[in-house]
Amino acid sequence: MIGKTRVLELLRKVISRSEADQTEVLLLGGKSYLTGFANNYIHRNVGSENYTINIRVAFGKRVGAATANGFSEEILNKVLKDAIYIAKNQKENPDFVSFAKPSDGNGKFDESLLFSENTANCDAECRARIAKKIVDSSKKLDLNSSGTVETEIDEIAVVNSLGIEKYGVRTVASVKNIAMTEDSSGYSKFSSIDISKIEPENIIEESTDIALKGRNPVSVEPGQYEVILTPYAVAEFISHILYLSLNARAIKEGRSFLIGNFGKKLLGENITMFDDGLSSETIPFPFDFEGVNKKRVVFFEHGVAREVVYDTLTAYKEGKESTGHSLPQPSPYSPYPMNFIMEGGDSTPEEMISNVKQGLFVQRFWYTNVMDPKNAVITGMTRDGLFMIENGKITKPVMNMRFTESVISALNNVLELSKIKRIVYDMMPMTVPYLRIKEFTFTGKTEF
Amino acid sequence: MRDIIESALLSAKRAGATYADVRILEREIEEISTKNGSVDALKRSFTKGFGVRVIANGAWGFASSFRLTTEEAERVAEEAVAIAKASSLTKIEDVSLAQVEIFQDTISQKVEINPFSVPVSEKISVLLESDKIMNIPGVIIRKGNMYFSKEWKTFASTEGAYIEQERIVSGAGISAIATNGKEIQIRSYPSSFGGDYQRKGFELVKNADFLKNAERVAKEAVALLSAKPCPSGVMDIVLGGSQLALQVHESAGHPTELDRVLGEEASFAGTSFLTPDKLGNFRYGSDIVNITADATIPEALGGFAYDDEGVKAKRIYLVKNGIFVGYLNSRETAKKLKLEPMGAMRAQSWNFMPIIRMTSINLEPGDKTLDELISGINRGIYMDTNRSWSIDQNRLNFQFGTEIGWEIKNGKLQDMVKNPTYTGITYEFWRSCDGIANKDFWHVWGVPNCGKGEPMQVMQVSHGVSPARFRNVKVGVLK
Repeated sequence: MIGKTRVLELLRKVISRSEADQTEVLLLGGKSYLTGFANNYIHRNVGSENYTINIRVAFGKRVGAATANGFSEEILNKVLKDAIYIAKNQKENPDFVSFAKPSDGNGKFDESLLFSENTANCDAECRARIAKKIVDSSKKLDLNSSGTVETEIDEIAVVNSLGIEKYGVRTVASVKNIAMTEDSSGYSKFSSIDISKIEPENIIEESTDIALKGRNPVSVEPGQYEVILTPYAVAEFISHILYLSLNARAIKEGRSFLIGNFGKKLLGENITMFDDGLSSETIPFPFDFEGVNKKRVVFFEHGVAREVVYDTLTAYKEGKESTGHSLPQPSPYSPYPMNFIMEGGDSTPEEMISNVKQGLFVQRFWYTNVMDPKNAVITGMTRDGLFMIENGKITKPVMNMRFTESVISALNNVLELSKIKRIVYDMMPMTVPYLRIKEFTFTGKTEF
Repeated sequence: MRDIIESALLSAKRAGATYADVRILEREIEEISTKNGSVDALKRSFTKGFGVRVIANGAWGFASSFRLTTEEAERVAEEAVAIAKASSLTKIEDVSLAQVEIFQDTISQKVEINPFSVPVSEKISVLLESDKIMNIPGVIIRKGNMYFSKEWKTFASTEGAYIEQERIVSGAGISAIATNGKEIQIRSYPSSFGGDYQRKGFELVKNADFLKNAERVAKEAVALLSAKPCPSGVMDIVLGGSQLALQVHESAGHPTELDRVLGEEASFAGTSFLTPDKLGNFRYGSDIVNITADATIPEALGGFAYDDEGVKAKRIYLVKNGIFVGYLNSRETAKKLKLEPMGAMRAQSWNFMPIIRMTSINLEPGDKTLDELISGINRGIYMDTNRSWSIDQNRLNFQFGTEIGWEIKNGKLQDMVKNPTYTGITYEFWRSCDGIANKDFWHVWGVPNCGKGEPMQVMQVSHGVSPARFRNVKVGVLK
């Protein structure tokens, strides 16, 4: 780690040297480690320390950006020079108003909630012992385990010439296992700021239970089925609307199904979804990559379309405040919901299964992609756990199937939501419950 | 540079490594994207650092740093050895590498026009001129992008390898998005998701002739809104080159990666149906299907002189006369199956450990013309330019959507159709291939964004293909 005092000094130095009308400096980096195991042994074990300096400058409406890793004098000067060269050779961007204003950047957050010494101090041997616990359990059950133990320490700081000055340091840990037999597999993954709060036993239990129950799967014909989706499957399915629809850029570009529909009921009464970077239900971080404090943004309230996320580029153009959802700029995916949360219901997953007369239990979706962006039609495969539910009970494992379904239709067909939610972390956290959905469309099947 | 390399290799050996290699990489990138008449993003980025890979206690360890000093090289090498020793806690057998010829070499890359010598303003004007031409009623988003990179990489190992390689890449593309409020249609040129990429200089942009194609792209995007939907049913299809490149990528490239075949990618990307028992005897495709892995093709994005284990670039068959005959491999996986290393280990950057990646995976040309392929179909669809893709984790069940299609009736191209999709099982699909266009139609498409591995690594690969015909394919699955 570089540390708050030194980082802010470095970034202030860049601001003081810049000749531009406005200057913004972002430092992003830290240490990341991954211990990967496959075939019940560690086959990949890697570590990296890297820091990137990202400088944006504006001369009027001409904006340039440059980035480099490291923070030596030579690097800082090179990046600033590159950014200025680009801005001066740039065309005006009519949408640009300003980098983040201090009025968008105020607010307090308990930074101790972001950092865990346990995660920061988990070294190669600590990670290897967690992996060993998982593979040893698999060996006892005659299973083949494949997974990862990951830790990261992220330092993020933003300073701009308008008065924004932000620094934060965060840890994240994730442990994942896929337990496999010859003809089945089971998946489990937990993520937390604090690695000591991740129980390898829970991961072993969930993944091995599914793998063992999944043996000798039967082939089922494609068609419409009632489904129970676990939080892993829900996050994978819904994640596409975050960039397709739930942001100001998608609205401006005419791509979102929310256009002209704010205040209208587009989804089921039981669907409430929002983004909240400060919530204890997510892996929080208090500000975005422009240094703007994250605000709670409600996308749907009981099915009614409410609002979308903004960064400064999209907000200031409309005379609004940024909601604190900028990615490192410039980015074609910014603004982006970085802490998506879906409200749960009252049921337990077991109760939800017991309410299905005939349907499918889906542990996970895989390789999902967009077939129709406007209507959010997604296709993908099931993976690592697919089961038939008959008369309220899981009765038999099923060979993997392909689905092709609209997120909008599915979220109008949600019959039940679980009370428990899970943080599904893949670059960014999504916190979602189990869902019971009627008439979910499967369009193909595979051979395993 | 040499003192850092020596420090890393000596320190690794001193700490207990039985093998070590070090890669130092320096890369500069310039990216420009335009949208609706203005520059959306313009950015230069630079990265520099080194990574040390070791075998100690019979297990792998890797560490890296951006601080290029001899002291840091020593620290990082020791950290890599400590990581390897931790890996050995779960060891089943010692890591063993196949023997390879050891090289000392320096490879520079010649380009016609150094892309970094062309003023940014000239690059912007090419994109904005195209943008202007695409500005027709119905088009709501006009996009253009360019990408240029140059890198210098040094690889050295405790076996005596010392290889320096230069790599210059250029890429560019334009697209138009049209909507009528109910649906969105897109057309891209020369390919989707950023265009085409090659190991070339700015001549790639000059040769692409965006200004000539911009109007067609925009008009096709608008025309698709009122085109009839792609019919559903089992019928014959012809795939154009840019779509076929992705078909090769997903259904031939990934399943022949030996690390995923051996289960090493099971926790993320998945495994493969092309298991070792099928090598040399499994009918992957029809007799006319020949698929090669060829890192030696000049200017191909997936090409290079040496991989990141110092193995010299090769051309091998993955599928010959329809039979599955080869894998993409590493020194470690080649040894496990008693194969010859073919040089497919590559890392995204200095801070990633190399994994098996596609090089240029190619469907070798056939003997037909495109007209001949089409004239042999009574009822079918000609599809081109990928719009969506999905395939299961064993690489069997796939589903692709393309930007555009045309009906084929009685051997002739007819009406344009929108939202074309097709789905199938990999080996059934390739076995149904009964015509491949000849070398006049062959083009090596650059794919700059192949994702694989944990931590995720994005790699530049390529696919040489010419259009091909497939019989009895399930078409039209979009609701």
